[in-house]
Amino acid sequence: MSDFQGMEDLLQDFLVEATDLLSGVDNKLVDLERTPDDRGLLNDIFRGFHTIKGGAGFLNATELVTLCHLTENLFDKLRNGEMVVSNEAMDVILAATGSVRDMFGALERGVQPPPADPELLASLRSAIAGELRAATLALAAKPAIAVPVVASAPVAGPDWQQLFHAVTEVPSSAAAPSTKGAVTAGEPVSAVSSPPMATVAAESPAQVVQRAIGRRASDKPGYQGPVGRRDSERSRENTIRVDTARLDQVLNLSGEIGLTKNRLNSLRSDILNGRSDTDTLHALDQAVSQLDLLVSDLQNAVMKTRMQPIGRLFQKYPRIARDLARGLGKEVELVLAGEETEIDKTMIEDLSDPIIHLIRNAVDHGIESPEDRRAAGKPEKSEVRLEARQEGDHIVLIVADDGRGMNAEKLRAKAIEKGLITDDEANTMDERQSFNLVFLPGFSTKDVASDVSGRGVGMDVVKTNIQKLNGSIDIRSSPGKGTTFVISLPLTLAILPVLLVQLGEQPFAVPLSMVREILTVEIGAVQEVGGRATMVVRGEVMPLYPLSYLLGWASEGVPEYGVLMQTAESAFILAIDGFMGREDAVIKSLDDFRPKGVAGVTTLSNGQIVLILDIKELLGALGDNRGVPRSAFRQPAVAA
Amino acid sequence: MPADPSKIKFLVVDDFSTMRRIVRNLLKELGFTNVDEAEDGAVALQKLKAGGFDFVVTDWNMPNMDGLTLLQSVRADPALKHLPVLMITAEAKKENIIAAAQAGASGYIVKPFTAATLNEKLAKIFEKVGL
Repeated sequence: MSDFQGMEDLLQDFLVEATDLLSGVDNKLVDLERTPDDRGLLNDIFRGFHTIKGGAGFLNATELVTLCHLTENLFDKLRNGEMVVSNEAMDVILAATGSVRDMFGALERGVQPPPADPELLASLRSAIAGELRAATLALAAKPAIAVPVVASAPVAGPDWQQLFHAVTEVPSSAAAPSTKGAVTAGEPVSAVSSPPMATVAAESPAQVVQRAIGRRASDKPGYQGPVGRRDSERSRENTIRVDTARLDQVLNLSGEIGLTKNRLNSLRSDILNGRSDTDTLHALDQAVSQLDLLVSDLQNAVMKTRMQPIGRLFQKYPRIARDLARGLGKEVELVLAGEETEIDKTMIEDLSDPIIHLIRNAVDHGIESPEDRRAAGKPEKSEVRLEARQEGDHIVLIVADDGRGMNAEKLRAKAIEKGLITDDEANTMDERQSFNLVFLPGFSTKDVASDVSGRGVGMDVVKTNIQKLNGSIDIRSSPGKGTTFVISLPLTLAILPVLLVQLGEQPFAVPLSMVREILTVEIGAVQEVGGRATMVVRGEVMPLYPLSYLLGWASEGVPEYGVLMQTAESAFILAIDGFMGREDAVIKSLDDFRPKGVAGVTTLSNGQIVLILDIKELLGALGDNRGVPRSAFRQPAVAA
Repeated sequence: MPADPSKIKFLVVDDFSTMRRIVRNLLKELGFTNVDEAEDGAVALQKLKAGGFDFVVTDWNMPNMDGLTLLQSVRADPALKHLPVLMITAEAKKENIIAAAQAGASGYIVKPFTAATLNEKLAKIFEKVGL
């Protein structure tokens, strides 16, 4: 193993651990604003920067060391009560934390972080110097990684210098006999005469100076200059921390499967040799059942290794919410719940941006200004709740605010004004559909996009991203009470429960999560409303789309069945010829070749390959005119 | 230096697991393969009291029980007070050095350090305690 390889692992470890640590620091900073005198908090934050600095030193990340060192010095003063946490200090600290995070980003890309913004460093230094002369210490330490020994010596006056020399220059040979005694005695002794100190820094002056200036060529820990990482490793965290108990379970199960395979092999030779008595068949049945059980257990166990507590994602939000609220002159507390809920690692990464957007949206649009809140008789401090929980085979994420709520009427008017919907459409919309208008591309409830929410990313992108994860998003809102966004996600992306439907003899798979119910389609019940074929289901008028029409196939017969499907914005009936039942499909994506409306393929138990349909995309292909005329739906039937 | 470095049992104490790994790797480079870890002073003290350790390498700044308190506790315990304790810290402030010395630290090493530096410090300590 080369040194380089070793350090690459180290860098990964460092980033994972230090990123967690920094998120913890971020949250503690938010707490600190509320309780600026909390010594425990100050101590924890101090230690956070201190620890990051220590690790960064081994990676040779000089700029990160410098930045952490200054921030740590500032916290040292704060925790010792030499300074108080002022707003100005807080701003500098928060800026420094952000800068540390940027530097992690650089390290992640495999490059040494560039120096922090000189202004930030200057403000840090002046914040430290603002109170005490000793702040010059921090200034002196600026270019150093490991030199404070030397750097601080001249500042500290003659006494210390003498002490320092006494300490560093005691020859170890002379000290040896008495040292042992001193250590064993374990008595407090004065530093000057203390023999144990012989080991403190028994380096030649040249070595000390060299350490002050730079590292020796023989210095191995730390990167020699910028580090190249494989391209594929960049941008995305590609390691995962897995509980060893979970890995052991995978190992155990694969062992069990191996044993069952052996049993099947032996049964196979028995059967090939002509044995087909009841005992043999029974044994075969047993072995196959066992394999069935083991494989699904293994699938679960492997899936679990990818599961991560969502708290890792949530950690960074309190800080974001706080910064936003402050920028807008609002007082917002982000309350987290269900951080221990586990979710697939790739989803955690892909959820990061949508949730940020929802929080931004809540703080910017949802929460009223303090004056409005007071006028409405609400506490000035508002609460945004970010919650995760598992509901059956789904993960539900909630972003809820206690703000002004949405006004369905206003939303419809806005959508008409922007030309997104027609008056007619607006009139048929219920409250829920109106709320969902915010997910339309080009919809923004504020006339002027603020620099908080309006960053060119709209709610439509949030929705698209959630849908990419096979999830759905829904809005509940009541005026004056607040708005709740509910995101529902599958537990994993690898296995999708599907309903197998048939068009003629050809099976297709549709995501089971969208299926509300299956019904029979009687041609007499099909009516044409506004040029569309529709059916009334328990008083609700549903558009009816024959699958053949969506796929552009010539319709051969009268569809007999309908699958009532629910997307985030609407419900409709998919008319089909028959269905085969449900199956847990293992999705194989068609990376290079992806026909419109096809999400992927899966293989049925009988070996047949089946397309998994992307219903939303198929519907989208219909364009604005989503109606399917009754005639298109059942031409042959008309002829008959 | 001891004849068989793998016979010396180290306890590496640090709350940052990356740092424990760094120290462990450096020790391994020097042939010290018998290494256990503890994430703070309190855990370390418990492990030390259970016995079997020959050498303690500890970070200074840790939650629950810091390195200095650990050192003091070790020196105050008749069964443990002979143990060599090497303090690791990111700082070499005079107060720290003095405090460590007064508490009876066997050595003091500043982050970041190399295997060579670590070896140097260890050799000095081994020489003194006659391991």
